[in-house]
Amino acid sequence: MLKFPKSVLLATAAIAFSGGSVLASGDIDAGEKVFKKCMACHMVGDGAKHRVGPELNDVFGRVAGSLDDFKYSPAMKEAGAGGLVWGADTLATYLHKPKDMIPKTKMAFAGLKKEADIENVLAYLASFSAGADMDTAEPESTPTAEETAEQTAPTPALQNADYEPSTGPMGLGRVALPEEIAAWDIDIRPDGMGLPAGKGTVAEGEVVFTERCATCHGDFGEGRDRWPVLAGGQDTLTDERPEKTIGSYWPYLSTVYDYVRRAMPFGDARSLTNDEVYAITAYLLYLNDIVTDEAFELNSENFTDIHLPNEENFIADDRQEEPHWKADADPCMTDCKAEPAKITMRARVLDVTPDSDEGEGGGQVD
Amino acid sequence: MSERDQGVKNPSRRALLRGGLAGGGAALMAGLTAGKSIAAGDPAITDIQDWNRYLGDGVDAAPYGMPSEFEADVVRRNVAWLTADTTSSINFTPLHALDGIITPNGVCFERHHGGVAEVDPMQHRLMIHGLVEQPLVFTMQDLMRFPRQNHAYFLECAANSGMEWRGAQLNGCQFTHGMVHNVVYTGVPLRALLEEAGVKTDGKWLLAEGADAAAMTRSIPMEKVLDDCLVAFKMNGEALRPEQGYPVRLVVPGWEGNMWVKWLRRLEVGDKPWHQREETSKYTDLLANGKARRFTWVMDVKSVITSPSPQAPITHGKGRTVVTGLAWSGNGTIKDVDVTLDGGRNWHKARIDGPSLSKSLHRFYYEFDWDGSELFLQSRAIDELGNVQPTKDALRAARGENSIYHNNGIQTWYVRADGVTENVEIS
Ligand code: HEC
Ligand code: HEC
Repeated sequence: MLKFPKSVLLATAAIAFSGGSVLASGDIDAGEKVFKKCMACHMVGDGAKHRVGPELNDVFGRVAGSLDDFKYSPAMKEAGAGGLVWGADTLATYLHKPKDMIPKTKMAFAGLKKEADIENVLAYLASFSAGADMDTAEPESTPTAEETAEQTAPTPALQNADYEPSTGPMGLGRVALPEEIAAWDIDIRPDGMGLPAGKGTVAEGEVVFTERCATCHGDFGEGRDRWPVLAGGQDTLTDERPEKTIGSYWPYLSTVYDYVRRAMPFGDARSLTNDEVYAITAYLLYLNDIVTDEAFELNSENFTDIHLPNEENFIADDRQEEPHWKADADPCMTDCKAEPAKITMRARVLDVTPDSDEGEGGGQVD
Repeated sequence: MSERDQGVKNPSRRALLRGGLAGGGAALMAGLTAGKSIAAGDPAITDIQDWNRYLGDGVDAAPYGMPSEFEADVVRRNVAWLTADTTSSINFTPLHALDGIITPNGVCFERHHGGVAEVDPMQHRLMIHGLVEQPLVFTMQDLMRFPRQNHAYFLECAANSGMEWRGAQLNGCQFTHGMVHNVVYTGVPLRALLEEAGVKTDGKWLLAEGADAAAMTRSIPMEKVLDDCLVAFKMNGEALRPEQGYPVRLVVPGWEGNMWVKWLRRLEVGDKPWHQREETSKYTDLLANGKARRFTWVMDVKSVITSPSPQAPITHGKGRTVVTGLAWSGNGTIKDVDVTLDGGRNWHKARIDGPSLSKSLHRFYYEFDWDGSELFLQSRAIDELGNVQPTKDALRAARGENSIYHNNGIQTWYVRADGVTENVEIS
């Protein structure tokens, strides 16, 4: 007897695409593209390892939450214990709206909206699953002449004639519409230029952050594994190992709003509402002790009143003032050192070069 | 499977050091010396080789040609521990195995912040807006109707050699210096696009934005934009590679690689800089006193010996030896390169060979008779403005060790009597 909640089974039935033959209708190549949405967190194929999410080889037939060496949410383990086994239908339901099926899953992914995307990604995953019974062998067919022509003939350029042409010296390009500029112009400057209308509180931000950001950045912005640290590190900038965060290093709050809106969550950019970004930004201020009240609301009005602690510590490029540039102007060619050179440090001591199997170094790329 | 094949499949550094299995050249040499009887002659000559008897592949066996299978280890490599994920990571150009000044497209190092965007050129648009007379949208076809230019430029990531601030870390110039490449770009001067839109007089800055999942952005001052920036669609004659920004990228000659926005889709003219994440949190240089320099755009004068180097040890023993390397400067051309064999006690002028182009890699050589004793190899470049490449110690004295970026210090390779070469620092 299945202990798995009825609601889930119902949901599964409701979304069972085309009589359970999701796999047969999916296109593996198209699925590989869809899988890009998963790649920030999952690996599949030869040598796949766990990342933020578990590896997905042989996921068909896998009991949900059952890989020993991956730390699942209690909710996912419970679902598995309750009898949830991944197959075409259960996966289709989960990937459509993960949180509808398993409300407390820690997979911070909104879901795939298009039925075709789900079918295709499942066909792709099935190709790495021994347990998937599928018939994807497509007959090799030679493209017809029309098909070939369709593929190779250059698509006509955008119909510039439909728009207002450029009046510049070359007469190339056409005038951008205000709607088009608005769709792309999302940058924000420290003086507040570009800030959208909206608002959000620390408490609201905590909810969104926990759901959408914490899998990588940690519940308190402390950074899981090697994902970036977002909070803390105050007064460490002169330490041997400084910790550069929003609170300890970043000069302007506008950069937080701008960057989160344009690039986060990693792998699902531009999916947050303006209010959610206000709320997250407020929460990041809170995590960095710049505001202390959970009821604090950040909005387009009070935004530019807030200054980050390290703003004053950025200076212009004065590399040319460094003494060595002048001192070396006429470099010595012969008998430049009294003593023969002696080794003071060797890379092999650390041995962090790739393909050597010892230890890890403490480097940083940027 | 032959030992060479294994070496190629798994080119571990130790294997390289152990046997000098550094590639085809070394394998052929091994063939020579391992020959059974010298009297019978070199079997590479006396035996009839398969390729001399049987027909090879016909045309079209590879519609897009690849390097010889004996060069299979000349590839980009990454350093897995540096970053959390390959979609926001870097790999490195195999400088130790290349010669001349041009980097082949397939081995140009990669740095992405949101993976490689696969942009359909027919769906790609470049928009110019902000403080302009008329905001414009260009298709790729529109861009290609502007007059084009061709220029060779180096692109160096500001974090190149960044792992070496605290001392010698990585054994190989691919890893210490491989975040640089040099390519001939075909493109349109950015100036021409801005003239088409008409920049208003208070337009002093330009924000460039990419179409990738990081929507990469950088602020660039207008003088630079109007001076020599290009909007490029070809590299070394063919379309940009996807990982280099296909179908169109920005070229900002001599300035840090992060500004060369790939998958370029938007240019906004403004009166002030935007202070984006890549010019505040990143690409600012923290100094020992806790202050940080920002807008450190120019890549300073720099050079490195690419061979011998840890991945390209000396395998021929004493006698005639070629030292070669690369030199470059964001300020223009390279005037001189000096090479030392004794860790800086005595320097010799190297020979710069091939084109000497502004803001492009320069190739240098220094040939000498090696007596088989230990060497401390260094190179020191001087650019057309007279800037001399500093020592790493001089940089540390001026900046501390936490700058991450802009490490252009002199590199030392220690060549042992057996030819094995290591990354070291010396007194
Ligand atoms: C932001 C990170 C993230 C993204 C993006 C993501 N996942 Fe997940 N995924 C997870 C995590 C974390 C879990 C573990 C969930 C739990 O324990 O509640 C998971 C679990 C799963 C499982 C269950 C595996 C098991 O062993 O039970 C499947 C199947 C899955 N994901 C598929 C996908 C697919 C397909 C995509 C893309 C369409 C995707 N995920 C996108 C993080 C992610
Ligand atoms: C799948 C993992 C993942 C998730 C989920 C995620 N991030 Fe990130 N975050 C990253 C990575 C990777 C980077 C660095 C990207 C790069 O290389 O440019 C980053 C960078 C950042 C930075 C800049 C850090 C710095 O020091 O420059 C901020 C701020 C940030 N993320 C906020 C968020 C917020 C807010 C969310 C949720 C809405 C979120 N992230 C979700 C992986 C993630």
